[in-house]
Amino acid sequence: MSSLSARLLLAVSLVLAVFFGATVAVLDSAFRNAAEQAVEGRLDVQIFLLLAEAEPDSEGGLALPDRLPEPRFSAAGSGLFGQIDDTQGNTIWRSLSAVGTELPMGPGGALGERLFTRTQLDDGRPVFLHTLNVEWEFEDGSVAGYQFGVAESLEPFLDQVRRYRGQLFGWFAGLAVALVITLGLLLRWVLGPLRQIEREIGEVEVGNRPLLSREYPRELQGLTRNTNRLIRAERTRLERYRNTLGNLAHSLKTPLAVIRTLLEKGERNNDAEIGSQLSRMDEIIGYQLNRAAASGGVTLGHKPVPVAEVVASLVRSLDKVYADRQPSCEIAIDERAKFYGDRGDFTEICGNLLDNAYKYCRSQVSVHGKHLPSDHRAGLRLVIEDDGPGIPEADADAVLNRGVRADERADGQGIGLAVVREIVEVCGGRLLIDRSPLGGARFTVGFDPD
Amino acid sequence: MRLLLVEDEQALRESLALSLRESGFVVDAVADGEEGLYYGKEHPIDIAIIDLGLPQMSGMELISSLRAAEKNFPILILTARDRWQDKVNGLEAGADDYVVKPFHTEEILARINALLRRRGGWAEAVLRAGPIALDTRAQQVTVDGNGIDLTSYEYKVLEHLMMSSGRVVSKTELTESLYEQDFERDSNVIEVFVGRLRRKLDPANTLKPIETLRGRGYRFALE
Repeated sequence: MSSLSARLLLAVSLVLAVFFGATVAVLDSAFRNAAEQAVEGRLDVQIFLLLAEAEPDSEGGLALPDRLPEPRFSAAGSGLFGQIDDTQGNTIWRSLSAVGTELPMGPGGALGERLFTRTQLDDGRPVFLHTLNVEWEFEDGSVAGYQFGVAESLEPFLDQVRRYRGQLFGWFAGLAVALVITLGLLLRWVLGPLRQIEREIGEVEVGNRPLLSREYPRELQGLTRNTNRLIRAERTRLERYRNTLGNLAHSLKTPLAVIRTLLEKGERNNDAEIGSQLSRMDEIIGYQLNRAAASGGVTLGHKPVPVAEVVASLVRSLDKVYADRQPSCEIAIDERAKFYGDRGDFTEICGNLLDNAYKYCRSQVSVHGKHLPSDHRAGLRLVIEDDGPGIPEADADAVLNRGVRADERADGQGIGLAVVREIVEVCGGRLLIDRSPLGGARFTVGFDPD
Repeated sequence: MRLLLVEDEQALRESLALSLRESGFVVDAVADGEEGLYYGKEHPIDIAIIDLGLPQMSGMELISSLRAAEKNFPILILTARDRWQDKVNGLEAGADDYVVKPFHTEEILARINALLRRRGGWAEAVLRAGPIALDTRAQQVTVDGNGIDLTSYEYKVLEHLMMSSGRVVSKTELTESLYEQDFERDSNVIEVFVGRLRRKLDPANTLKPIETLRGRGYRFALE
């Protein structure tokens, strides 16, 4: 059962079958009861009619006229039969329609009690049988018991029930089919966006479409937004790896060429130059690989990183490393502040910025973290500042861009900040440098709420 | 100063141990964590250099185990991984500083000297006590600005005493910080070194920088 529509249709069909089945059964039984009661009422009337027509005859018994007000008693095959027995069970009268048949009257009920049963004639025809035991008081004062019986063939009743059932089933079947068709159409409409996603993902796969479109119902927007984020992150990551490998290969070749030339010339005392080329290669590897190692942006499968915890452990570590200088570090971070991404990335960002602050401060470092609330994904603003010499405004760009092309970069420090900028941007944030009120550099890392 | 070096790469271990010995350290150089833990527990180690990527017992485990065994000597980590997450993990496990590979040997020497000074409560590379100044980088000693000519062993004894300033240092401890192997220990040698140091630093016998505590050892007592 891999299709949602099929599951829903099957479930609804089962429910409909049970519901309609029960309804049909209830209606059917109610109708049969009503029809039976109608038959009973009619036969009741016929019995009283026979009672009214009965007259004492000359031999001290009962007799009925040849012509009765109900013509069906006289017509053969009319399906209505009449019979009168005496207390000994001898039939004293039988209607013309019943000639040749015996109504299975039995002893009957108590005096004056009417009995309504369903039974069979001796030729097997099913009938409703209605009997009544009476006492007849003759004019001479003698009293005799009689049993009046009226039977009607079941055929018309069964016909009626059959017709009724036919109609009932017809209507309900029609209704069920209409409901299932309506549901099918509804499902097509409701599940349409899912089919659209499937189609669009297919298109993304073969490269006919960059991302999933935005026109989706609210319930699916989380899915499409995260899918898009994943697609984008995957694409950026791939691009970054490709660039890194390209840059790495390219930028390592220059120092390698220098070293080879030095070796080929065969001069002595090249050690210093070879050493400096080796440091350069070391820096290039450090820079390029640290950039590539950033997992970047994808937040699926990551627990949000508690900012205060990461900063606290970095500050503990840096306090050890810079124990000689022991700058005072003021930390004010909102407990709710979270970084949505990879913990290693965030540690790298904060580690480099804090290390920088510890390295250049005179005596004071300050870290502020602000939580920017949002319904979906909260934002974060992290400010790390110190009271050192600071970075002149004109150089800020250069500091952040240093090392973008490692083979063009001058020797010296500052790779850390360029790496930080790259990681922050890969994670979807921004890094700003300006002057701190403390006097030194102020780094602001901002991730907007989503 | 007795130094424990745990590094699995033989070439690096041997060249680093050589440089460290040249700088006056007594070096226990081992290749894996298990052995490192044994030396760390059994020898009077003053400082350790531990590579994080070790076979069998990782550097991180080794640091945790040493700290759990209440070994409080400073530890410098060597690591090829320079992501902050790795550095923080090492420092939080109990290390005191880190150096990222590849490194310059001078960088390592500067870091371990700084860690040793810090352990002894000294803030600067030059340890000053009264008129005596010991430059840990140049390994030179001056009294009132005049250079004093010390042998390598005499310098090591003075450095160890000054780094342990205010604390009693036994003769055994001094011997072990001077010699790598369990030589036939003759405590007279230490007495000879201390006697010569006293004469060179304080010919007039007015400063009395090194106290003798009978049966217990020596103490550098100059503020």
